Amino acid sequence: MPLLINRQLVDQDPWLRVEDEQALPADGALLLPLARYLDQKDQLAGRQLGVLINGDDDINSVIAEIDKLQLVAIEIPAFTDGRGFSFARLLRRAGFNGQVRAIGDVSRDRLEFMERCGFDAYDIPDDRFKPEIIEAFDEISVDYQGAADDPRPLFRR
Amino acid sequence: MYQYTEVDQKLVDERVAQYRDQTRRFLAGELPDEEFRALRLMNGLYIQRLAPMLRVAIPYGLMSSRQLRKLAHIARTYDKGYGHFTTRTNIQYNWPTLESVPDILAELAEVQMHAIQTSGNCIRNTTTDPYAGVNANELEDPRPYCEIIRQWSTLNPEFAYLPRKFKIAVTGGPDDRAASQVHDIGLHLVKNDAGEIGFEVLVGGGLGRTPVIGKQISPFVAKHDLLTYLEAILRVYNLHGRRDNKYKARIKILVGALGVDKFREMVEQEWAQIRDSELKLTDAEIERIKGHFTPFDYDAGAVDNDLDAKLAADEDFRTWYERNTVNHKVAGYRIVVVSLKPYLKPAGDISDGQMDLVADLADRYSGGEIRATHDQNLVLADVKQGDLYALWQVLADNNLARPNIGTLTDMIVCPGFDYCSLANARTLNIADQINEKFEQVDYLHDIGNIRVNMSGCINACGHHHVGHIGILGVDKKGEDWYQLTLGGSSEADASLGKVLGKAVPADEVANTLEKLLLTYIELRDSEQESFLETVRRVGLDPFKESVYAPAH
Repeated sequence: MPLLINRQLVDQDPWLRVEDEQALPADGALLLPLARYLDQKDQLAGRQLGVLINGDDDINSVIAEIDKLQLVAIEIPAFTDGRGFSFARLLRRAGFNGQVRAIGDVSRDRLEFMERCGFDAYDIPDDRFKPEIIEAFDEISVDYQGAADDPRPLFRR
Repeated sequence: MYQYTEVDQKLVDERVAQYRDQTRRFLAGELPDEEFRALRLMNGLYIQRLAPMLRVAIPYGLMSSRQLRKLAHIARTYDKGYGHFTTRTNIQYNWPTLESVPDILAELAEVQMHAIQTSGNCIRNTTTDPYAGVNANELEDPRPYCEIIRQWSTLNPEFAYLPRKFKIAVTGGPDDRAASQVHDIGLHLVKNDAGEIGFEVLVGGGLGRTPVIGKQISPFVAKHDLLTYLEAILRVYNLHGRRDNKYKARIKILVGALGVDKFREMVEQEWAQIRDSELKLTDAEIERIKGHFTPFDYDAGAVDNDLDAKLAADEDFRTWYERNTVNHKVAGYRIVVVSLKPYLKPAGDISDGQMDLVADLADRYSGGEIRATHDQNLVLADVKQGDLYALWQVLADNNLARPNIGTLTDMIVCPGFDYCSLANARTLNIADQINEKFEQVDYLHDIGNIRVNMSGCINACGHHHVGHIGILGVDKKGEDWYQLTLGGSSEADASLGKVLGKAVPADEVANTLEKLLLTYIELRDSEQESFLETVRRVGLDPFKESVYAPAH
């Protein structure tokens, strides 16, 4: 599945996605479901950690952990589900500097808004990926609102 | 009025190019139907029963003569020579082709217009009082705040995929001509005890399947806090609004489920995080936007005119003057309502020629600006009293001066089954039936102010719940029937109408209205008591009896 990070196509994803029932790999960066992370985080200190959340999760319980996390992956169950946009904003507002990755129903026409909200990585399904997808980030070059990289709305710039 | 900066212009130009590419990718099969559907809706394009329908934004109902001429041009070039004004003060075209929409948008961008967020599950066109800036009752002109909201909400990256559509209305004072209490957010300019101007904020109003009057979430939000407060509400809604059932997804359902106190607590908690953020409005920004809405340079000499003589000499003119013009805050001026409710034509429809004509009249008599109203009429807001007679003559010659504003035939009517794929029943034929029935009735003017609203389905685009008389089309085994409600209002005394009883067949709607009106005339305690007041005083029973009792 093509992975975009900071608008670049990358072929190596260091993150190992581990489901609830799976045994933990001995080494490598771990992407865990939120509940499992919260349950086992004490045993995992020192490892590269990420959590996988969806719109039903409480974003505040993730924000409480951001100093221990290097990745928050937000699952978008359907492209019309906009909760992830607010999640990304809240994570960046709280000062999270790690990767915020969109996974699930992720495709071209939301990438620009996602980036402005604070996403910097995107798992794009194979059938929705084309190299020119990169152009989506620059379709609208002006905006009124503040964004993750510059919180000032237009009237304060 | 507001004039685009380079940024505003670039945004709409780039949005046109973006939409053109989305259309191209859809036609090339690269964009799934469902995804293109969401994208085209966010740009105002529906696929209707017969053809696509394009809804063009008229921010807070205000347009220039140049813009109206462009709307006429689009009607002529891409449609069948007419457009339809809606209760959100937008204009709809019923016959463009899907392929031509990018070209239409490019034409709109030439005159600082667009179709951004006129549909879809995002923040829609903010509406306000069509008499903003020219009525003596308002605390302040609400339009600068509408423009501030327009900019904040336009292509807002966080709130483009809300659980459901989101509508905001702003009023400038105690009068409510924007139906603010049946909006997702209603904002009322108010003054606090310290004499500062701010907003009373209502949340969770709406019509549709679950009609609700909005509840107060804050009695006073300072104007600098407008955007931070709105953002807090939208964020709580975006995170917590239901997404499992589109009929339960509006903010009114969330507010109802949590209770307004709990909802307020969540909003205030979020607001505390952002109240003093960069989003807080600055004096400079408020003043910059206000600078676009400075009052016209009114002519003090306008009070010297021959209006009284003309009124005395011409009864038709006097009837129109009394019905279709309104007090202006400046002596010597009058607000003119251009009726888009002529005899036997769809409510809110206007031809390309009429649009050009109104644009010319606006240039000649009203500072080159036109407003669209929630009631689907147009307004020329700044007409000298001495020009009224000449203006009336031209309007009358062009079927734009039916003296019916605020009366029975000034109905709000959705397009219904004839156009809309959501509708269950026709509405335009019923509107015609009502017009035919009452056109020659001599007690019609005796009835005075009455609001009749009609919708062709429970989505309630015709706002039937808040009509003094509401008419809802329903489908019963393939036949159109009509359910009536009484006692609704969308004004400052907002209320939801109560169901009169079982639905009546299509050919009985006007006859039923007649029974209701005759009952009102019989029961009112004086000619000053309006239909709505009588219904509120006596209740529905006498009206039920007049409609459903067996004939004597």
